[in-house]
Amino acid sequence: MIFEKINRILNNSAANCFATIILLGVSVLSCLFCSPATAKLLLDLDNPNLGKMPIMVADFHSSQPGSPNGADMASIVRNDLALSGLFEIIPAPQPLPMSQNGDPDINAISRTGAQALIMGSFEVNGNQLTIEAKLYDIALQKLDLGKRYTGAITDYRYMIHMFDDRVMEKITNIAGCFTTKIAFIDDSRTREIYTMDYDGANLRQLTNTRTINLFPSWVPDGNGLIFTSYINRNPDLWYVTSDGQRVVPVSQRKGLNASGRFSPDGSMIAISLSVKSIPKIFIINTQGNIIKQLTNGLGNDISPTWSPDGANIAYVSDQAGTPQIYTVPVNGGEPKRVTLSTSYNTDPDWSPRGDQLAFTAKVDGRFQICVIKRDGSDFRVLTNKGSNEDPSWSPDGRMIAYTSNLDGTKRISVMDAKGTVQAKVSGIPGRSPAWSPRLK
Amino acid sequence: MDIRRLIIYVVALVVMTAFTSGCARKIVKQNEGPVPGFGLAGPGAIAEGELQGVQTTLRTVYFDFDNYTLSPEAQAAIDYDAEILKRYPNLNVVAEGNCDERGTAEYNLALGERRAGSVVARLTALGIPSNRLSTVSFGSELPVDPNHNEEAWAKNRRVYLRVAK
Repeated sequence: MIFEKINRILNNSAANCFATIILLGVSVLSCLFCSPATAKLLLDLDNPNLGKMPIMVADFHSSQPGSPNGADMASIVRNDLALSGLFEIIPAPQPLPMSQNGDPDINAISRTGAQALIMGSFEVNGNQLTIEAKLYDIALQKLDLGKRYTGAITDYRYMIHMFDDRVMEKITNIAGCFTTKIAFIDDSRTREIYTMDYDGANLRQLTNTRTINLFPSWVPDGNGLIFTSYINRNPDLWYVTSDGQRVVPVSQRKGLNASGRFSPDGSMIAISLSVKSIPKIFIINTQGNIIKQLTNGLGNDISPTWSPDGANIAYVSDQAGTPQIYTVPVNGGEPKRVTLSTSYNTDPDWSPRGDQLAFTAKVDGRFQICVIKRDGSDFRVLTNKGSNEDPSWSPDGRMIAYTSNLDGTKRISVMDAKGTVQAKVSGIPGRSPAWSPRLK
Repeated sequence: MDIRRLIIYVVALVVMTAFTSGCARKIVKQNEGPVPGFGLAGPGAIAEGELQGVQTTLRTVYFDFDNYTLSPEAQAAIDYDAEILKRYPNLNVVAEGNCDERGTAEYNLALGERRAGSVVARLTALGIPSNRLSTVSFGSELPVDPNHNEEAWAKNRRVYLRVAK
């Protein structure tokens, strides 16, 4: 039934188009789309009846054996699609059955239950790599998406992720965000900030302050992060460029300058300051000047997160005796309590679609990642193994990064927004993940 | 009076006698090296002599889980510390607030700040000038006991008073 809907879109869109994307280094110079889809189908993440779409991903083919290899490329595709939670990966027969005209044998493949097929080929020329990748609609027996990417061999993962972003756009109308990164802190005594691809590849140390760094959070344009650091022996708010070259202070008031989060338009920062003794939520500008104090009362107020429209902020307060999540309008108004069902609710992160909050709740004595609608309805627990905290949404709203201690050490994991697929991604121990915005 | 308290009193007495007898009041500046000192940089960051002596004499203030109010024991510790600080009006104090690991990092940072604030408020009420007192929270980042049990957690829920010139 689902695929019937997908077919409808595919029928409506211009088929068999072939776009070429030239990749030089890591910067995309041009992006020529096929004609935009004319029908809207958003796979509704809240639809409990949504099944997974069976998809087959064949190993990429090349006449030149060596590195990179086609099996590796296909495994990147399989991993991306599986982690989205929307696909069931069907094993591809080796070799893939082909028809006489050189196209895949659609009839043979349809017998495996696969409703879509991804296959690709690549060529190496010096240190340049060209990848050609295709998405076939098995039911309609047609090529649905074809892309060609050229770039440095070392960027092959990025090129594959770019294709997968387009596959998601083709099938769901919302581009994937497999080209994004996750920032986090390691577990060394001086917790340094690292970045990695969302799937854990390309790990890179961003800071070397040799002091405690906490709570990294991206600037909306992706060009840097703000974080709390003890560089000057006090928890101050600092900014670091995404190349790690520049580290500058933003707010250095007496007491806490903690958990800074940029407004979606990049003009303001919500932050917890204890400059007036009790930690409260303030709005400051990018120069660090206070614009307004947002919360009052006797509770510790911490962990602000902006609604995607910038109109509201969710935060944690223990004014009722235990930490609970509240929302408050940025332009004035009374705070409203969101969480009611458990005694310890922290770390809210507002979903990019705006309809729900992910947060950490204490469930049966352990921390778990949960989601709740912004009005407090539809509370759901997404994790149930080990202890899990620090949720951070992917920019497409389909995945959540979080800290999990499932293997005995805290590491960064990602899951789809329903929690059906959960995978450890950071090779090194770490916590406090921050999913980047879409990066240019 | 338990034996621990007795030892503390004896140490305090020895330290105080040493200072009041007019020995050199040399205070070595805290280590300003490339690695900034944290709470746990420990005694090494504090020089010999007076500062060290006062530091070892001060009592750490402990808290209940997810709580920043002062228990009778915590109040007694602060009262004791206030008396010592009154004898050394040139020393400033940083109240370092800490939490056990059972909580989320951001919330614990706020909780640690609040604990430090509770201690400073009582010290102020006991007559220590507020310009001698400051707070810093380390949340759950600097446990003194890295174990994962009640005994360790109880030790880690603390405000450590670090003296400085």
